Amino acid sequence: MANTKMDPVLTEIVRNGLVAASEEMKSNLMRTAYNMIIYEALDFTVGLFDKEGNTVSIGIGLPTFIRGMSNTVKRMIAHYGLDAMDDGDVLLTNDAYITGSHLNHMTFCVPVFWQGEIVAFAACMAHWIDIGGTLDGMTLDIYSEGLQMPIVKAWAKGVQNDDVFRIIEMNVRIPERAMGDLRAQIAAVKTGERRMLEMLTKYGRDGVLGAIEAIYDQSEAIVREQIRAIPDGVYEAESFMDDDGVDHGKRITIGVKVTVKGDTMEVDLTNVSDQVKGFFNSGRAAGISAAQVALKCLTAALDMPINDGCFRPLTVILPEGKVVNATRPAPMRMWMTFPMTVIDTIFKSLAPAIPGKVIAGHHADLVVANIHGRSPQTKKLFLYLGGLIGGGWGAKQTEDGMCATIAINDGDTHNGPSEQVEAKYPLIVEKYGLRENSGGAGKQRGGLGTEQIVHLQTDMMFNTQIERVESRPWGLFGGLSAYGNQVAIHRQGKDETVFTTGKVFSQLLKSGDRYTLRSGGGGGFGSPLDRKRSDVEDDVRQGYVSIPMAKEHYGVVIDRATMKADVAATEALRAEMRALGLPKDIPLTSMAISQTAPRFKLVQGGVMSRHARAWHDEAQADGLIWMRCCS
Amino acid sequence: MALPNARPTGTARIAADVGGTFTDIAIFDERTGSIRLGKALTTPDHLVDGINDGVAKSLATFAEANLFLHGTTVAINTLLERTGARTALVTTKGFRDIYEIGRVNRPEAYNLYFKKHKPLVERALRFEVNERMMSSGEVRFALHEEELERVAKLLDEERIEALAILFLHSYRNPSHEIAAKQFFEKRLPGVYITASHELSQEYREFERTSTVAANAYIGPRVRTYLGEIVTHLKTQQFGGSFLIVQSTGGLYDADRAQAECIRMLESGPAAGVIATQSLCREVGWPKAIAFDMGGTTAKSGVILEGEVLMTSSSMIGGYAEGLPVQIPMIDIQEVGTGGGSIARLGPARSLRVGPQSAGASPGPVCYTLGGTEPTVTDANLVLGRLNANRFLGGDMKLDLEAAREALRTKIAEPLGLSIERAADGIIRIAAASMSNVVKRVTTERGLDARDFPMVAFGGAGPLHAVLVARDLQIGKVIIPNAPGHFSAYGMLVADLRRDYVKTLFTPLANLDFDKLETQFVAMETEGERDVLAASNSIGAVVVSRGLDMRYVGQEHAVTVDIPVAAFKAKDMAEVKRRFDAVHTVRYGYCSEKELAEIVSIRTSVAGAMPKPALSKIATGSAAPPAEASNGIRKVYFSAAGGWVDTHTFQREHLRAGNVIIGPALIEEYASTTVMLPGDKLSVDALGNLSIEVANG
Repeated sequence: MANTKMDPVLTEIVRNGLVAASEEMKSNLMRTAYNMIIYEALDFTVGLFDKEGNTVSIGIGLPTFIRGMSNTVKRMIAHYGLDAMDDGDVLLTNDAYITGSHLNHMTFCVPVFWQGEIVAFAACMAHWIDIGGTLDGMTLDIYSEGLQMPIVKAWAKGVQNDDVFRIIEMNVRIPERAMGDLRAQIAAVKTGERRMLEMLTKYGRDGVLGAIEAIYDQSEAIVREQIRAIPDGVYEAESFMDDDGVDHGKRITIGVKVTVKGDTMEVDLTNVSDQVKGFFNSGRAAGISAAQVALKCLTAALDMPINDGCFRPLTVILPEGKVVNATRPAPMRMWMTFPMTVIDTIFKSLAPAIPGKVIAGHHADLVVANIHGRSPQTKKLFLYLGGLIGGGWGAKQTEDGMCATIAINDGDTHNGPSEQVEAKYPLIVEKYGLRENSGGAGKQRGGLGTEQIVHLQTDMMFNTQIERVESRPWGLFGGLSAYGNQVAIHRQGKDETVFTTGKVFSQLLKSGDRYTLRSGGGGGFGSPLDRKRSDVEDDVRQGYVSIPMAKEHYGVVIDRATMKADVAATEALRAEMRALGLPKDIPLTSMAISQTAPRFKLVQGGVMSRHARAWHDEAQADGLIWMRCCS
Repeated sequence: MALPNARPTGTARIAADVGGTFTDIAIFDERTGSIRLGKALTTPDHLVDGINDGVAKSLATFAEANLFLHGTTVAINTLLERTGARTALVTTKGFRDIYEIGRVNRPEAYNLYFKKHKPLVERALRFEVNERMMSSGEVRFALHEEELERVAKLLDEERIEALAILFLHSYRNPSHEIAAKQFFEKRLPGVYITASHELSQEYREFERTSTVAANAYIGPRVRTYLGEIVTHLKTQQFGGSFLIVQSTGGLYDADRAQAECIRMLESGPAAGVIATQSLCREVGWPKAIAFDMGGTTAKSGVILEGEVLMTSSSMIGGYAEGLPVQIPMIDIQEVGTGGGSIARLGPARSLRVGPQSAGASPGPVCYTLGGTEPTVTDANLVLGRLNANRFLGGDMKLDLEAAREALRTKIAEPLGLSIERAADGIIRIAAASMSNVVKRVTTERGLDARDFPMVAFGGAGPLHAVLVARDLQIGKVIIPNAPGHFSAYGMLVADLRRDYVKTLFTPLANLDFDKLETQFVAMETEGERDVLAASNSIGAVVVSRGLDMRYVGQEHAVTVDIPVAAFKAKDMAEVKRRFDAVHTVRYGYCSEKELAEIVSIRTSVAGAMPKPALSKIATGSAAPPAEASNGIRKVYFSAAGGWVDTHTFQREHLRAGNVIIGPALIEEYASTTVMLPGDKLSVDALGNLSIEVANG
């Protein structure tokens, strides 16, 4: 299949040029964006596409948006047809069921004309800080989530369509910011167009387009070779989400079936749950993305540019009406959460086939808190996006899992320095550390989650929409599950309340209260009884694993005086545990929550306390929002 | 520092740039105005020997010198090779894991085997003490000596060699760090102790922790190394000052260098950019791109409005897995493409060049030192651009046939290309990746590379400069004298320098200029005292001030240079105007009506060192003299359709005013300049080769 006619030198130069072009689009957007969700959390994707809308090269902030933009470009082509597009057009949509995500993802696209013919597209999606819709609590349909912009021409032949702009300006809460981000996005797509034209000038139409075909072929060949190394077969796995935020405690099934045959792979998502009532739905592009992300991770993780050649050997079966292929009017605001677990479940399904390539389950949530309050000095409203604390990743056959790293939905996203947080907000971060024992035990240990304890210096409203609290990150091949994610509040003078759900809406906290975010760990890999004694000793020395946990999960008896393993006692204990089938895994209840811990009564939008409602109304009246997320 | 028993000083200034392969020496004689050069193999086991060899080769002695200037890789190698001291960290309660958590980002988004940075201090050696400063600088929990004593016992048991101290908000109030350092210095004699505020007074606890931990980790080894040099200098009857190049390109004395060794990480590359800045002054250019290509990497920095572009931090060991160091340094971007970069076939018939490098050992195939993988240097030899018999002045014979054979079997035949096309392709790919690194210091900083001339140096820089320039549509390339010694030369033109940065979150509207002045003056007084103590040759002391600013609500700040006069005049509007202007260049827009805030204040104090005056070379006519000709040989240029008869010249014999039209090669001891067809070179009065690039 490799394109043997194409000059390999030119192909390599064009390949480098495409990577550099999408990187430059990315840095231009970051440099010019107005909102921190773009320039800090990197919630955007930019890229170049061929004239059919296939991905040629994308620069990502969001790894799971790998499909969203190509899908959007394709739908734009289908809508207008190439003949009805002109040089100077800028196409726009935020249709959640096209991008597969939420309405905040405004996507712009320009056709790249070369000698009167469309040869490519440059496009840019970025997360707008506000797109209208309700600020608060749970949404139950797309209409309450804000402005829906169908596919339109924001510019036609270089002339701005004022009607479109007026519609946007009337429907978003902070139009100046929105227009700033819009300009940044236009600058990014124009950069992509310019770099593409420069390459066409330097190397000619046939040179560039031929190189792109050769790059597709190279990526395809890499992936086919890797798939061929996977034994043929049908591989299935199932996992669960805690709930949809409406029917509390009602588990949601994520079932996947992967069929490997020769050098092709089929991912069947028929057994993923139907769409749900709460805002955790996503569109078809997100479901396909989940399969593609999993494939790329397993076969061509570092192959650049990120292009659609990789995905030629992949078929995805995804019926309509699934939670990752939801239909209008399903609410989509937290679209990013469930696909992360779909990806992990695909890894889990393939574990028997390629144990050396897969990874155990990870904490699979961004672990974010939305907080607002008034500055004690100025009395002005402030908004604080807490969290993004990173969590544990699954162990692999040959390596322990990574500690304290952002979930798979996000890539180069940074946490905020505590010194900065304390200087900007009336908060004191009392602890930001690793969560001892949170990594799933295994021959290879799962990575540790983190814990952040924040002490409030004034009254604040606190909200979270965190998943995978009770459905904990799983281990593989006898590795144990890790701690799940967790939210707690500690009101002054009272005991800490640990919630059995991560969906904690509209909690009014007082000055002196504390909240705690805990991210889950990663699952273990292989039986913990097979972990090297010296590794467990080191885990204990470093404080990743406690002495009791070393005994209970790893069967390693640590002598407190020497901090070394008691070899005889350890061997005896390990033999006994093996005979008894220990340690037992408990994948579906939350750890470290006592049976008597209060079960949090879900507060949905519209059922707030009167005091909380007043706060909410005031925030809304200020025209500011706190309902933000990072995807 | 001035060494004891100083004799009346000599008149020579010796600069030694110790690199991975070669130790380059440049010596300036103040009396005669002459510059002498030497090159010796680096002697990794005992680096002083290589320095000594090089000085001897330059026909000089330390006894006749009044100044020894040194750039060294000892600090960065200790860090990258992880051969530093057994180090502990003492930090604020609740934050021992900050060093391990880092910023939680995952740059290689699809790589399940991505590895985060690995801390230099294991968790078991990170100790918390109960103390707490607030962001305002007020004490929340006092620091008690019992707490320190409790930790000291543990440190004793662990037999640590170095200790880093970081407390939260020490940039605002360092008193707890100061007290802890004093306590541990008394309590743990012999341990190398360093506190974060001495290196960085900027917020960001992870980056500051990483900086102070790295300083502690490399400290004992750097201290030993500098001690060896001092001892050696004494035995050589050296009676002058011993100064080290910092990553800012400024000099500091050996005492200060032992305490703050983290500031010398990038001393060699920084000196190359300083040399470029000095050249810009001589030829009257306000700006230039510095392009430095050696055996394993290509690097680029920028001079703008006569000043070197700086950065406030850097990731040592690469963006994805590296360790941040938060101190001012020259903004140098790097790519793993050098003469030794290996060309290889990737999946599905793709051709890749670098980042794997054959380095100096086994080296390129043509060195016949055991290398079997074709490299960029082999490709240059095969195309006739390097002369097999004149490499390093003929000191090293190159094996053309071995290079051809490696290219044929490993690259050309599998791809179905001729050997020449394969070699040419390798060089074009290398040039394309190097032009991307230049874009990172220009385009990504809001600058247009096309507006800049490019100064190319390092052993391999002149070989590829016009190719890179073409890719970027740069019109002018200059090859300085002795491009292989340019970094060592840069040390001779460097000034003494101290840098101070202090985080001071303040809305611009609330700025109290009097208070600010007090802060600045305190830093500058210390800096002035410091540079004056380091050398008795200091001329003027120059202070440059800046503010790190952002719009309220933004996270990322930009550094804005602001003249001292604007502070004295308390001109708030001028500060805002300058910030808006910098923001526009860097980010493409500004918001004149939006409020700005100050994040940090920064100042640098430079003590001017007397500079070597460059001598002019003999003037000639447009045609190069006959003795400059090395004859005509066939060189392969794809732009000219293949092998072309090409004039070659010996650089030493060229005269000012000579003009050469490409294709041509200019050969000299440690480098060869390649000119493509249509390029036009003229030799300037100082002997620099100035090339007008024939851009398509």
